[in-house]
Amino acid sequence: MQPEKGTESDVDLLHAVARGDEGALARLYDQYRVILFSLLLRILNSREEAEDVLQEVFLQVWKRAGDFDDTRGRPFTWLVTLARSRGIDRIRQLGARQRLADSAAQNAPDEASDAVTDTLHSEQKEIVARALASLPEEQRRTLNLAYFEGLTQSEIAEKLDTPLGTVKTRMRSGMIKLRELLGEQGQTLMGSALN
Amino acid sequence: MVHEDYKELLAAKALDALDAEDARALESHLQSCADCRAEMLEWEETAAFLALDAARVEPSASLRQQILTAAKTEPASVVDMEHHASSSDARVLSFERPTRSSFFWSPVSAIAAAFLLVALLASVFVLWQQNQKTKAELAKMAEQIEEVNRGRAREREAVTLLTSPGARMASLAGTKDAPGAHAMLAFDQTGHAMLMAKGLPAVPKGMAYQLWFIKDNKKMPGKVFMPDASGNGMLEDEIPGVAREAAVFAITLEPESGVQVPTGSIYLVSAG
Repeated sequence: MQPEKGTESDVDLLHAVARGDEGALARLYDQYRVILFSLLLRILNSREEAEDVLQEVFLQVWKRAGDFDDTRGRPFTWLVTLARSRGIDRIRQLGARQRLADSAAQNAPDEASDAVTDTLHSEQKEIVARALASLPEEQRRTLNLAYFEGLTQSEIAEKLDTPLGTVKTRMRSGMIKLRELLGEQGQTLMGSALN
Repeated sequence: MVHEDYKELLAAKALDALDAEDARALESHLQSCADCRAEMLEWEETAAFLALDAARVEPSASLRQQILTAAKTEPASVVDMEHHASSSDARVLSFERPTRSSFFWSPVSAIAAAFLLVALLASVFVLWQQNQKTKAELAKMAEQIEEVNRGRAREREAVTLLTSPGARMASLAGTKDAPGAHAMLAFDQTGHAMLMAKGLPAVPKGMAYQLWFIKDNKKMPGKVFMPDASGNGMLEDEIPGVAREAAVFAITLEPESGVQVPTGSIYLVSAG
């Protein structure tokens, strides 16, 4: 499966941002704010930190949209990868994961007033949740620790007290299964990821 | 490792979960293997789908305006070379050939001529001075443009580094010896690192700042650098493999040739 290019409008938006079009930046924010903020909130467990990093992400996009190369992936992947990377960087800067865990209770991410409950988002989350639910628990946990907590394979092995080889196998098997389950629905997922 | 072994690592790389040694080996293989690079894109997309598992929450409504306002004050730093060149050219003084006029060699005219000559010489001197000044300004401007270009090249490199999969960033805070200083150290999975420091005090003659990688109390020397007149410093270095995970980074003042064991005060240090 070769990744298809992003939707024309998203690629166009990024190109317009690269030319300094502030309106395009606003439209890009409107399109991606929920998916990126939700990801950052899941990683950081703090609204304040997540909003701060989201601002950093969009300012980086504003200054560096010219670096986006649509032959090397879709806008969705570029933006999500950028946000996830900045989120994990922030965790490492903050140092103590415990500090974040402590603040999690005070910053419940699913406050009713802010939760997005429209049908498209529910459907899109359901597709990914269903795919993850079909994985064995240990594979799902391995993927979550890597993606949302930024742990390396050795760190996961240590945290779960599991041999490194087992962690590597679980991670690869989980990703292969996810690719099978989600690959065919890429366009649907990315379409409904936007709001 | 053979090609198939590297392919086994791709999925974990997309999750940014490879340990440093595997990451470095794969990075090197990817440089030369188009097949693996193409497959890498697919895995990156699969990894990005994981983001969609997060519960959907709206950011604060005010954030949109904050970002747009910040964007207005932080425009993409594009230097308009043509504008600079034309405005500079416009400031070059033109020397017009003086028109020849006839006059009588009378005593009066001789005195007048002497005054005229003095006035002319004075004018020429003033024009010469202005021309020298303009030339100096042009040279300074060319230097500034060159510096901006160098800065942009460094920024591009920093962004490439920061957006590479697995890139990390450490923040270094100034100590009591440099309370106004701060720095960021960005590095990728191969250990290639860029340090960007601000607010550093000027260094005494013969001295320079040196970067250190500290792991389990072992201090490994990095390169030395000199800050510019504004206290800004920039350094590229390679972090030793052992120091990429949970290491502390520090900057000390040392002899300009660098030392193997730190001898000077710590000016900047990461939280670790």
